Amino acid sequence: MRITGNRLIDLAAASSTKQQSTVGTVSGQLSSGLRVTTPSDDPAAWVAAQRTKLRQALSQGAGAAVATSRDRLQLTDGALASIGDIVSQIQTLAVQGASDTYNANDRAGLGAEVRGLFQSALASANAQSSDGEYLLAGAASLTTPFDPGGVYLGDAGVRAVPISDTTTAGTTIAGSTLTAANGVDVLPLLDRVATALSSNDLPGLLAALPDLAAAVKQVATTRSHTGAAMSSLEQTTAARALLEQDMQQAISRYVEVDTVTAASDLAKASQALEVSRAVASHIITLLAPST
Amino acid sequence: MSDLLSLLSVGAAAIAAQHTGIAVATNNVANANTAGYSRQRVDLESLPAAPLVGGVRSGAPVRMQDSLLAARIQTATGSLAMSQAFANALAQLESAVAGGGSTIDEQLGNLFLKAGQASAVPTDPQARDAVIAAARDLASGIQRRAADIAATRADADARIRSGATTASSLAKQLAAANTAAAKSDDPAQRDHRDQIAKQLGQLVGGQARVDADGQLRYVLDGGAVLVDGGRAAALAATPDPTTGLARLEVVDGAVRRDVTTAIGGGSLGADLKFCDQDVAQTAAKLDQVAFDVTSSMNAVHLANAGLDGVTGRPMFTPLAQVAGAASLITVDPALAADSRLLALAAPGAGPGSNAGALALFALGTRPVAAGGTATLGDAALDIVSGVANAGADARGDVTRDGLVADNLAGLRDSLAGVDTQEELTNLARFEHASTAMAKVVSTIDTMLGSLISSL
Repeated sequence: MRITGNRLIDLAAASSTKQQSTVGTVSGQLSSGLRVTTPSDDPAAWVAAQRTKLRQALSQGAGAAVATSRDRLQLTDGALASIGDIVSQIQTLAVQGASDTYNANDRAGLGAEVRGLFQSALASANAQSSDGEYLLAGAASLTTPFDPGGVYLGDAGVRAVPISDTTTAGTTIAGSTLTAANGVDVLPLLDRVATALSSNDLPGLLAALPDLAAAVKQVATTRSHTGAAMSSLEQTTAARALLEQDMQQAISRYVEVDTVTAASDLAKASQALEVSRAVASHIITLLAPST
Repeated sequence: MSDLLSLLSVGAAAIAAQHTGIAVATNNVANANTAGYSRQRVDLESLPAAPLVGGVRSGAPVRMQDSLLAARIQTATGSLAMSQAFANALAQLESAVAGGGSTIDEQLGNLFLKAGQASAVPTDPQARDAVIAAARDLASGIQRRAADIAATRADADARIRSGATTASSLAKQLAAANTAAAKSDDPAQRDHRDQIAKQLGQLVGGQARVDADGQLRYVLDGGAVLVDGGRAAALAATPDPTTGLARLEVVDGAVRRDVTTAIGGGSLGADLKFCDQDVAQTAAKLDQVAFDVTSSMNAVHLANAGLDGVTGRPMFTPLAQVAGAASLITVDPALAADSRLLALAAPGAGPGSNAGALALFALGTRPVAAGGTATLGDAALDIVSGVANAGADARGDVTRDGLVADNLAGLRDSLAGVDTQEELTNLARFEHASTAMAKVVSTIDTMLGSLISSL
């Protein structure tokens, strides 16, 4: 085959251009850290990365919901702990008040103290989250759940939040757990004890004592449910952290450059560029007409 | 004496023949870098005049050219131009669907993320505002992508119209060059004609064929004749009555022939294919995604209740049809103005219910797009992956067609390219022969002089 001087120069120039392009590409990858900068660089990898990012977004949405719910459960647990303490205190005062050694005045004093504790329990039961929702109101979360007499006005709605992209878990405690539907009406019971003490109603007080014992258990049971829900969310959070780490690593694998491989490619391409430049220079010298 | 005189004539003819060789070699060197130039060769032939030597003469310079190779180069040029133009157009389309900010799948992901966040605090105004803001971003993102795709299509359409004008002009030039080449033996005329045919090939593909009569005919894919000897037809771009996009017709006098779907090469072929297929498919997919987003999210939103307990409100302004949905998708204006209307609660439940938020979040994994076969995210990804795959294929085509064209260029150069070293050698060869003949003539002249002096 006849090869002209121009053809040789063209081939040498094309070789240099190709190697220079490779050096530019690999340098760009190394400086940006990305192997796939546009979808067409590697459509399959890009789609896989974007699909993982979408799952990551869903996971982050679930994670944010879980984090908020966990904070709210802690507030709920605090409120229930307060109510539990108060019920226990009132149980103690009621037992004292039921003693024969106490007279009407003593019981009235205890009644006033129980009344104050009842108000504290009521305040705890009507506690709100930072965004204004009532913690124990169920789905009626913008309405005060317990009236001044401790009667529950909310519903039994339990809010489930996503804990992954496909599953949900209940993360709220409705005030209905403190009502007769689950044992005794806890807050009205406290009001009843306060009234019995104030009015020196010993039979009434004695009748309330078993209910108070049940109420202590009821609140404790509710707290244990709260604790279980929090524990479940903690585990979910830990699992999600691992999942999101895996997803991030997968995204990196799909679109980020392998530094060692890229550095090696850069070295090879740079060497090839130098050689092709030397060849081009040699060809040009060779073809230059002698003067 | 008469023999000496005839030898003088032989010498003069030989010098003239060698000078022709020098002229051809010089011309070749002069045109070593002229695009499309085919080197010329001069063949010397001896003149029979038995029993004596008859001398030498030069034949007409021969243009080194191979019709079969020229046809292959013509085809390869059209293919390379098409794949390059197609790759460029697809890169522009890829930028329209995936460049400049968040992609649609990312905006969908953000909306689902905000819905997930709101599911824990469904009455929180900030969380509700965030959901609506994400929905607005999604709608405006889809609208922007639709506008960018339309702009890409408009650019391609403008290129088609402009290309048709250029092709008509080149066809006229080619016909004129054809006429000039038929009238002249000058090889440069044929080089000029071939160069124009090559430019035309880069634009419209097709085949340039030199028939037995020496006339070049330029035939488009599908058989329409654009140039027939000295006669040129025009390539006219007319708007399609339905789409408004350019259609191409070969206009030869009163005869018009639609070649829109027939042109399968050159940059015009690429732009036609790009407009009719890739852009149209991408726009249709985007419309479908916009329609599916609107339909599925509205279905959830209509069934759930706002903070006021009212159901039956849309999240996005309802769309009547798929066609054009991407340009029209928008968050319902009433909802955009008042986040309390966002239906995150179950109907009949209190405002603290989050059933609507959960249902919106669940759309992230439910197959509600593409006729219930894909999630919204996957449908959005399919838009970009379709363009990206086509773009990657087109880049591969550019590489492949480039290699073919380069190989053919090598073959052409092997046959028709000027090698300056070779030409310098030829020059020296002819120069030496010429010098030698001059000495022969001088010797004969001396002999004649001596002879005449002795008479």
